[in-house]
Amino acid sequence: MELTAHISPLDLAISGSIDLIRPLVSATDLTRRWGRGSSAQLGIDGVDLMIGYGELVAIVGPSGSGKSTLGALVAGIDRPTSGSLVIDGTRIDRLSNDRLARWRGGNVGIVFQNFHLLPTLNATENVELALKLADKSVGRRERRLRSGEALASVGLGDKMKRLPTQLSGGEQQRVAIARAVVTRPRLIVADEPTGSLDQESGHVVFDLLAGLVSSGTTVLLITHDENLAKRTDRVIAMLDGRVDASIPAVSEFVDGPLATDALVAAVAL
Amino acid sequence: MRQVLREVRRAPSRIVVSVFALALAIGAIGVFAIPTVASSSLRDAAERDNLAEVVIGTSDTGDMNVETLLDSLDNVQAVDTQIETEVSLDAGAPGGALLKVIGFDGQTQQIDLVHAEDGRLPEGRDEVLVSNGVAPIGTTVAVTGQDGETTDLTVVGIGGTSFWSATSAAFTTLETARDLAGLEGVNRIVISADDVGKDELRATADSARDLLAQEDVAMTFLPITIANNEHPVEADIEQVSSLIGILGIVAGIVALVLLGSTTNTLITERTREVAVMRALGARSRPLRRRLRRLAVGIAIAAVVIGVPLGILISNVIARMVLQEFVGVTPDIAVSLPVIAGSVLFALVGARLVAARAARRVTKIPLATALRDRDGSPFGRRFTERLASRVRLGGLLDRTAFRNGVHRRSRSMAIVAQITAAVAALLIIASLATTINDFNAASVEPFNWVSRTEVAGPGLDIDADVADSDPRSEVSIDAIGEFDGWQVDVRGVEDDTLMIDRHLDEGSWFVQSKEAVVSTGFAERVGVNIVYSLDEQPAVELAGLTETIVIDSFQDDGGRQAILMIFGAIGFVVVSVAGLAVASGLAVNVYERRHEFAALQAVGGRKRHVFRVVSAELIPMAVLGIGFGLIAGYFGGKAIMGSFEASNAVEIGYTFAAGVIPAAAAVVIVGSLVLGGLMVRRVTRQPAALTLRSAA
Ligand SMILES: Nc1ncnc2c1ncn2[C@@H]1O[C@H](COP(=O)(O)OP(=O)(O)OP(=O)(O)O)[C@@H](O)[C@H]1O
Ligand SMILES: [Mg+2]
Repeated sequence: MELTAHISPLDLAISGSIDLIRPLVSATDLTRRWGRGSSAQLGIDGVDLMIGYGELVAIVGPSGSGKSTLGALVAGIDRPTSGSLVIDGTRIDRLSNDRLARWRGGNVGIVFQNFHLLPTLNATENVELALKLADKSVGRRERRLRSGEALASVGLGDKMKRLPTQLSGGEQQRVAIARAVVTRPRLIVADEPTGSLDQESGHVVFDLLAGLVSSGTTVLLITHDENLAKRTDRVIAMLDGRVDASIPAVSEFVDGPLATDALVAAVAL
Repeated sequence: MRQVLREVRRAPSRIVVSVFALALAIGAIGVFAIPTVASSSLRDAAERDNLAEVVIGTSDTGDMNVETLLDSLDNVQAVDTQIETEVSLDAGAPGGALLKVIGFDGQTQQIDLVHAEDGRLPEGRDEVLVSNGVAPIGTTVAVTGQDGETTDLTVVGIGGTSFWSATSAAFTTLETARDLAGLEGVNRIVISADDVGKDELRATADSARDLLAQEDVAMTFLPITIANNEHPVEADIEQVSSLIGILGIVAGIVALVLLGSTTNTLITERTREVAVMRALGARSRPLRRRLRRLAVGIAIAAVVIGVPLGILISNVIARMVLQEFVGVTPDIAVSLPVIAGSVLFALVGARLVAARAARRVTKIPLATALRDRDGSPFGRRFTERLASRVRLGGLLDRTAFRNGVHRRSRSMAIVAQITAAVAALLIIASLATTINDFNAASVEPFNWVSRTEVAGPGLDIDADVADSDPRSEVSIDAIGEFDGWQVDVRGVEDDTLMIDRHLDEGSWFVQSKEAVVSTGFAERVGVNIVYSLDEQPAVELAGLTETIVIDSFQDDGGRQAILMIFGAIGFVVVSVAGLAVASGLAVNVYERRHEFAALQAVGGRKRHVFRVVSAELIPMAVLGIGFGLIAGYFGGKAIMGSFEASNAVEIGYTFAAGVIPAAAAVVIVGSLVLGGLMVRRVTRQPAALTLRSAA
């Protein structure tokens, strides 16, 4: 995984490997609720959303507004109650459980606030496991090589044999990022990845995620941190389970690495 | 108790499972109660029926008043006279079934009281009350008496009395019995005594014999004395009962493991909650007290369910024993010592285990306990770090192995439970096989095809049977006593063809007062060849043979019953152990649901989760099976050995190797199915939902 090379989505579009007209994520009337009737709990309610290839999108909103719910649906670890969700041409809300798991392995990387590394595997093994589940054709040696590279790219080249308990929170989160990127997914969903970290580690983690965008990965970042949100291409605000229309979908303070209005316009079609 | 209720409201299913697991453990202890329950229900019956202490069989007493004659004797409390005879059914057809007939006086009976369970006692001529299964009330049975005449008896009741509980019998009035037996007076005297010690009863029987002899009344069989209020069939079931009691040890071990693991889990689960309270300033001592109280509260709740369960288990099995071996249906009986023992076991055991777990839980450094869900993150112990260096197998296998090391006490508990289940299965199967083999072997040396017994002692055997048929021989069966052991004495012709005369040592008897005894018996009681047995008549040992017979094991029905009873106990033990394994496994998988959800989030499918679970489970199952085989082999051997020692018999030991594949398959398949069910449960809900609760 080359994080340093700077390839813009436009370059990719020109080379024909991504489709500018078709969005990567397309949600229509997406709803998730738990329970039925009067006691039903609403997570999100009729969300329409499009996210383009290579975008770095922040989702913000008050606590309980449905950010994590939306993130889980897009990451394919939860199922909508109704609505449709197409990601890279696949209607993932219609996949069987096992298909969905396989899809996740190959197409999405997930970073959680609580890391969720497997406690009994060391850093490399955690990363290797994701690669193994995603792509069986990768041999043992290559797997180890790529895992090593991924860990090195998040600055953990010297702590590859450490167990999760032997790593700090920031380091664990970087292992989680290595685990998310090692499969070279199109989409990374990060739900408050910096929430458990101090400000400095938080910025390291954000920089790593933002850096992925330059290689064509789409990153959906759920955050409470205004400063981080400001550094993204676009901010989607949630309120009471809906996208808050009062805040412009396209951030006015776009100053991130990719201020490509053309791309955003194309995606917004 | 209030605390328990609060817990129940908070996590009902977990608490209910703990209570039931403990209750089953307590219930399993009930197996210990089977021998006591069996003999106490027999004794209850004996007391209810006012069982005779001395029974004397006599020749016809004519018109003599036996009651007044014997009433004057020392130690005699009451005397009843009866008639005992046999009639043949099927209108005297040769080989027709015989039926015991007892004549008694329904108005004045004081001893061996005959009860009607259904219908009424006989009053008029030719009326009878019969034991259960002989004939229904209202039917007429044609019987042929001693005089060869056929009489129609009318069944007016179903019932009996303890003394005859093992026999099919008909009870009728003295007059009717007199006709059937061809007597003028009576031929059976039952006595109840003041002093029921063995020697006193013998003395009473002896003086009764002297008194009767003066009146020219002879005895037709050795007086029967029933000492210490025992039931006459008690000795018969004692061997089976003691075997069952020994099996209780196996049940007890299983119960112990179940108690330990359930209580331990109960406390350890609260590590995080305890940590939060410590962080908020709670002191360790009251916290520990609270945890102990919780465990004891749950144990009390379990006692409430477990004790009745134990009573049920012991009574069901005791009932099976009694019905199969002696045809008695006992009342519900309880063994207070066993109940007290099981309650103590539950309360003290739960408290001890809880105290230890609570101490551990309150001693984990706060930072660790708060940070990690289960309070002990993987990698803190040396063994865990060592395990994390092992890079054998796939990544999923590694997580399985390391988790096994991480939660080693639970792993060990699961292995122990599988061991106990397999061992119990093997012990029970081996005992059943041993007894079966022993039966087959004990019958093998006997070459006879049929056996004819004379109706009464001292009567002649039909000359046709005894002499003219070259394929038949006469013999005598008796029971002797030596050194406190009861021995079967079998008198045979010295050139008998009916027994294989295999000798381990010495020679076959040729002269009178020489005998051959079984090798096992000789070893046990320490007699050698040319040893003079000082009983009367004195006999000299000529040789040793391996032939031995135990009456209660001899018949096929008894064998079936033993298999059935062992099967029932095996079922109890194996289901308790199975439940213990299941609950250990459920907790194991449930605790790791977040880990499994994370595995799913990075692309793991259900089969990957199952892979992790089974990779951990199969080695535990294999270990458990291995240990279980060893424990089963030696455990069965030890049980049989102690049984041989206490009964002075040589039975040998046949290890039921045949059930090993079945036991192994059941354990492996069972645990995989169980694992599959658990995995299905934890993977059913979306990963996001599980992970949400992980914070
Ligand atoms: N499993 C669930 N069962 C019932 N209600 C739920 C469940 N998960 C989420 N909710 C509800 O859905 C709503 C949105 O929750 P969500 O976790 O998406 O909020 P959020 O925006 O991520 O909040 P935060 O910033 O605090 O993480 C909340 O009201 C929450 O109570
Ligand atoms: Mg959230």
